[in-house]
Amino acid sequence: MSRDEIKDVLLEIIADIDEEADFASLDAGAPLRDQLDLDSMDFLDIVMELRKRYKLQIPEDEYPQLATLASCIDYLEPKLQNV
Amino acid sequence: MAAYQLLIIGGGLSGIAAGIRAARFGLKTLILEQHNLPGGLNSYYLRQGRLLETGLHAMTNFAPPGAKQAPLNRLFRQLRLSRKHLEVHEQIGSEIRFGGRSLYFTNDIAVLEEAIAREFPEAIDRFRLLRQTIAAYDPFAAVPWRSTRGFLAEHLRHPLLIDMLLLPLMIYGNAEEHDMDLGQFVIMFRAVFEEGFFRPGGTMRDFLDLLVRQFREFGGELRYRSPVAAVETDGDRVVGVRLENGEQLTAETVLSTAGMPETMRLAAWEGDRVQYAGRMSFMETISFVPRASMASLGPARTIIFYHRGPRLAYRRPDDFLDPSWGVICFPDNFSGLVPEESTQIRVTNAASYPLWKNLAAAAYGPAKERWSRAAIAASEEIIGNYHSSIVYQDSFTPVTIERFTRKAQGAVYGSGIKVRDGVTPWGNLFIAGTDQGYLGIVGAMLSGITIVNQHVLR
Repeated sequence: MSRDEIKDVLLEIIADIDEEADFASLDAGAPLRDQLDLDSMDFLDIVMELRKRYKLQIPEDEYPQLATLASCIDYLEPKLQNV
Repeated sequence: MAAYQLLIIGGGLSGIAAGIRAARFGLKTLILEQHNLPGGLNSYYLRQGRLLETGLHAMTNFAPPGAKQAPLNRLFRQLRLSRKHLEVHEQIGSEIRFGGRSLYFTNDIAVLEEAIAREFPEAIDRFRLLRQTIAAYDPFAAVPWRSTRGFLAEHLRHPLLIDMLLLPLMIYGNAEEHDMDLGQFVIMFRAVFEEGFFRPGGTMRDFLDLLVRQFREFGGELRYRSPVAAVETDGDRVVGVRLENGEQLTAETVLSTAGMPETMRLAAWEGDRVQYAGRMSFMETISFVPRASMASLGPARTIIFYHRGPRLAYRRPDDFLDPSWGVICFPDNFSGLVPEESTQIRVTNAASYPLWKNLAAAAYGPAKERWSRAAIAASEEIIGNYHSSIVYQDSFTPVTIERFTRKAQGAVYGSGIKVRDGVTPWGNLFIAGTDQGYLGIVGAMLSGITIVNQHVLR
C-alpha cells in the first residue's frame, strides 16, 4: 500500500468513527486526538479497525507512534507494504 | 474451539451495547436473554393493545450532536450509531417539591440557579462554588468511598437544599441507603442537572429495536427465551454456559450482566451473595388518563420529585410502600411530542422487597391494588385529582422486577458495592451492567462498552 493509500484508509476509518470529523484543516504533523477532539475510546477504535481489516496487532506500547497522521503513515507503511 | 468468542448473559442495555462492540470488530458473539423481549430493566410490555414502558422515565445526559466529549455522543460513536438516527425530545421542565418548597429546573442549569437564588438566596453563592468543584472533580478516579452528605454539608451548609438536590439524584441512581458515594453523586449531578433529561422519539421498543438491529447488522446473534442455568467452569477458566433446557454452549469469554448475586449463583461462586443484593427497590404505578383531563393538573411538568416529610429518608421502607416521597413522571411531557388521546402518569415509590416476596399468592393481587391506590392518592396530593379519570391502570413491584430482570431483590441499582473493573475469580468471566457501577440507560450502555474495550477487545 502506498503512503497515499494508507492516508486514505486512515481518513476513511476516522470518518466512520466520527461523522463530524473535519479534515479540511487537518495538520498531518499535529496530534490527531487534539485536532479532531477524539478520546481514548475513539483511538482504540482506530486500532481495532486496523486489526480487523489487516490482521495487524498493534501493541499498546506502540500507540504513541500513531499520534499524528504523518506518524501513523510512517508506522504503517512497512507493515502494510504487501497489502 | 469454542462455539462463540463472546457469550453475553442478558439482553439489557449493557449486554446489547457490549455485544455491538464485540460484533463490530468481528467477534462471534451471542447474547442470551431469558425473556422474550430485550431491554432488561428498561424494557416494555403490552397490555390491552397499550405499550407500557418499564424503567425509562427519561434518559439523562442530554447533549447536542456537536458536543463530542459528552457521554451521550461518546456512547453513540462507540456503538457506531449516528445521532442523525436518534430523534430527541428534551424535557419541558421538572420540579423538586419538598414540603412547601419548590425548585424548577430544565436542561439549562441557569434555570435551576435562578430557582435556588429565589428560594434559598442565602445559599446561592455556595451552590455556584459547588458547581465549580463538581466540574473539576474526576468521578472515575480510583479512590475510596467518600460521603456525599459530608461533602455537601461542608460545601452547601444548608440541610433542606441538600435534601432537595439529593432527591432526584438518589432516586435516579443511588444503590445505597441514606448516603451516596461522592463519585456517583458527581456523575448523577452532571447527568441530571448539568446535562438534563430527554427521551428518544417513539417508545422504548423503537430504541431497543435500533440497538438490536445494529448488533445483528454486525453479525451478532441474539436468542430470546434462553435462560442460563449455569456458568460452567474448569479450574480458573469458564468454558461456557448451560441453558435451562440443557443445551450447552462453549465460549472463549463470558460476560454476565445478570448482577453479582445471580452471577455468583450461576457460577457456583463461593462468597457472600447478600452483600451484593441491594436494598433499594421500587413499585411503579402507571395510569392512563384522557389528555383532556390533564389540564386540571397544573402546569405541564416532565417529572416531579416529591417529598412530604421533613428530612429525606432514602431507604427501604418499613411497609410495603412509602408513598410519602417518590417520582411522578409524565412521559408525554417532552418537547415536540405529538399529543395522543390518552396520556400516562407514572408514579414511582420505594418498596420493600421482602414484604412483597413473602406475600402468599392469594394476597399479592389485593396488596398490589391497595398500594397502587395509595401511590395514586399520594401523587394526587401533589398534582391534583386524577383517579376518577383513569381509563387503564397497571403496576409492578420489586417481585416483578426480580422475575423479569434477575436483579436480586428487584434492586434496580444493585448494591452499594460495585465491581468497577468487572473482574471475577475466573480469568475469562466478566461483569457488566448495574453491579459494575454505571447506572441508568446511558450508564448501563457505557458499562457494557467499557468492559468489552478493557477485557475483550485488547
